[in-house]
Amino acid sequence: MDNREVLVDIKNLRTFFYTEDGVVPAVDGIDLSIHRGEVVGLVGESGCGKSVTALSIMRLIPNPPGKIIGGEIFFHGKDLLKKNEEEMRMIRGDKISMIFQEPMTSLNPVYTVGDQISEAITLHQKIDDVEAKRRTVEMLHLVGIPEPERRYSQYPHEMSGGMRQRVMIAMALSSNPELLISDEATTALDVTIQAQILDLMRGLQKKLGMAILIITHNLAVVAEMAETIAIAYAGKIVENASAKEIFKSPRHPYTYGLLASIPKFTEKKTNEPLPAIEGMVPSPYHMPKGCRFNPRCPFATEKCREEEPEILELTPGHLVRCFHPIES
Amino acid sequence: MRDYIIRRVLGMIPLILIVMIVSFGIFSLVPNPFAALIENPRIKKADIQRLIKAWGFDLPWYLRFFKWFSGVIRGDWGPSLLYPGSTARDVISRALPVTVRLMGIEFLVSIAIALPIGIISAVKQYSVTDYVVTVISFLGMSMPTFWFGLLMMMLFSVVLKRPSGMPLLPAGGFITPGLEEAPFWAKLGDRAQYLVMPVVVLAFSSLGGYARYMRSSMLEVIRQDYIRTARAKGVPERSVIYKHALRNAMIPIVTLIALSVPGIVGGAAITETIFNIPGMGSLIIQAETKADYPTAMIGLMLSSVLVIAFNLVADIVYAWVDPRIKYS
Repeated sequence: MDNREVLVDIKNLRTFFYTEDGVVPAVDGIDLSIHRGEVVGLVGESGCGKSVTALSIMRLIPNPPGKIIGGEIFFHGKDLLKKNEEEMRMIRGDKISMIFQEPMTSLNPVYTVGDQISEAITLHQKIDDVEAKRRTVEMLHLVGIPEPERRYSQYPHEMSGGMRQRVMIAMALSSNPELLISDEATTALDVTIQAQILDLMRGLQKKLGMAILIITHNLAVVAEMAETIAIAYAGKIVENASAKEIFKSPRHPYTYGLLASIPKFTEKKTNEPLPAIEGMVPSPYHMPKGCRFNPRCPFATEKCREEEPEILELTPGHLVRCFHPIES
Repeated sequence: MRDYIIRRVLGMIPLILIVMIVSFGIFSLVPNPFAALIENPRIKKADIQRLIKAWGFDLPWYLRFFKWFSGVIRGDWGPSLLYPGSTARDVISRALPVTVRLMGIEFLVSIAIALPIGIISAVKQYSVTDYVVTVISFLGMSMPTFWFGLLMMMLFSVVLKRPSGMPLLPAGGFITPGLEEAPFWAKLGDRAQYLVMPVVVLAFSSLGGYARYMRSSMLEVIRQDYIRTARAKGVPERSVIYKHALRNAMIPIVTLIALSVPGIVGGAAITETIFNIPGMGSLIIQAETKADYPTAMIGLMLSSVLVIAFNLVADIVYAWVDPRIKYS
């Protein structure tokens, strides 16, 4: 299908949290691959393990209570989970960068934004302070911050949420990473600012060519940007295909339900309520037996309640974890 | 900023005046110390009347205040009742250096120990180190100084002896008689051995509080998003703690430290009494119980002025460590 080199290959990743109330299998066998320069969307509801997957790639799972208990994360063919802390530190912010959901709290309030970006640069590149400052101003300019020289010496509290997210992007891209992980990076922003930031990310991706893993619960966000979409449910990937395929012919009942619950403005106005997926996300302490989606699935059969389906490639490049996939 | 400081300093003047009037007013509730002399048949009534008149105890308290205050602005704080023949100022200036030496060293020692252990127990929360430090902190905070002081004395002044048969550390006092005019280094060494036990006793009782503050402030900061951001850009763990987290965690701590400084002149009455140190704490209590208001008022005013001044210092330092604070 995709003849670009595989950049990241996650195989059967399992990250569990050991809490006082029990074990939470936040990520329980996620498989995902990202090619060089590819934009991949990882979509799912809260608690499905999207963010934990991202933090696992960065090896930033807070331990305790979290722990990566199994699987492999190959980056350029080498397993990140086998690297020591120092090797991992050199990769973070250099080859793999991450931006977060809360721009208001993601920057250190006592250092200027310029200091924080140039710190990221000097950590990974052997350059002097003058050159680091020049690069920082360049990055601020690149992410569309007006008057970058003046902004360089401002503190985060002197900027708006959108501006701060631009600063975060500038920081993440300052070392030309091969992979940018965006963990709900636009969720906390106003809709108009959201569109601006997405535009910016798309533009920068074209310009710099890095791969992006977009983590979101908002299908509209990935619809515009992602080439490939993976749908996560209760710690597993349930469907993985090109964006076009996902939107045109979703095969997993969960994906189908998600798409059906998006309002369509092209259709005639009706007074019908939007269709919603019945039931609730399962409690992480009590995962249902068999297919994890079975209690909410309209097509569930006895087999779904007993056995767990494997993820299968139904058509080339279209993977689905379901015994009764919807016909395309 | 300069205008702000000038405004605050000017604002202190009426405040100090009010403190003076109120504390003087409260002091006047102490019964006239000369009235009791009437019981003594060997003192002539006329002499008692003369004493009462000379001290102004025949006047209402506010008139006595004006009499006292007019002296104070000329730098005359009045004679001491407790030590006849000395002025109140002389009495204070004998006790003040003794107390400042003891409390100043104690203050520095407890902060120098408390802050690092607070940081370590936060970074290694719920580790053995954390538990040990926590237990020791609470032990120090809850153990009465007079009891711990006596235990120390038993060990270092009674049980442990030097080869010469002298106690390992002197049980009380602050200088060996006869060494007042000794060369600087000899005097320093002599004073140091008198200070060891009281400093240890006081530091042990106060460092727990600082350490707990430091720990909770650090724990609060370590959970913040910007700490995750720092890790995500590849900042080494040491730098995450000592650069990104500590600077933020210190914001409430510097305020706490600045506000604790005035305590240095107040002395520690109980510990001073136990170790027979003629410091401010025991002096002021004696002055208060013996109606020596000129002496007690100096002590009170010294503490009040320092409390007010260090509140300003705390505010200034606060703005200096936290860029979000601006005074105008």
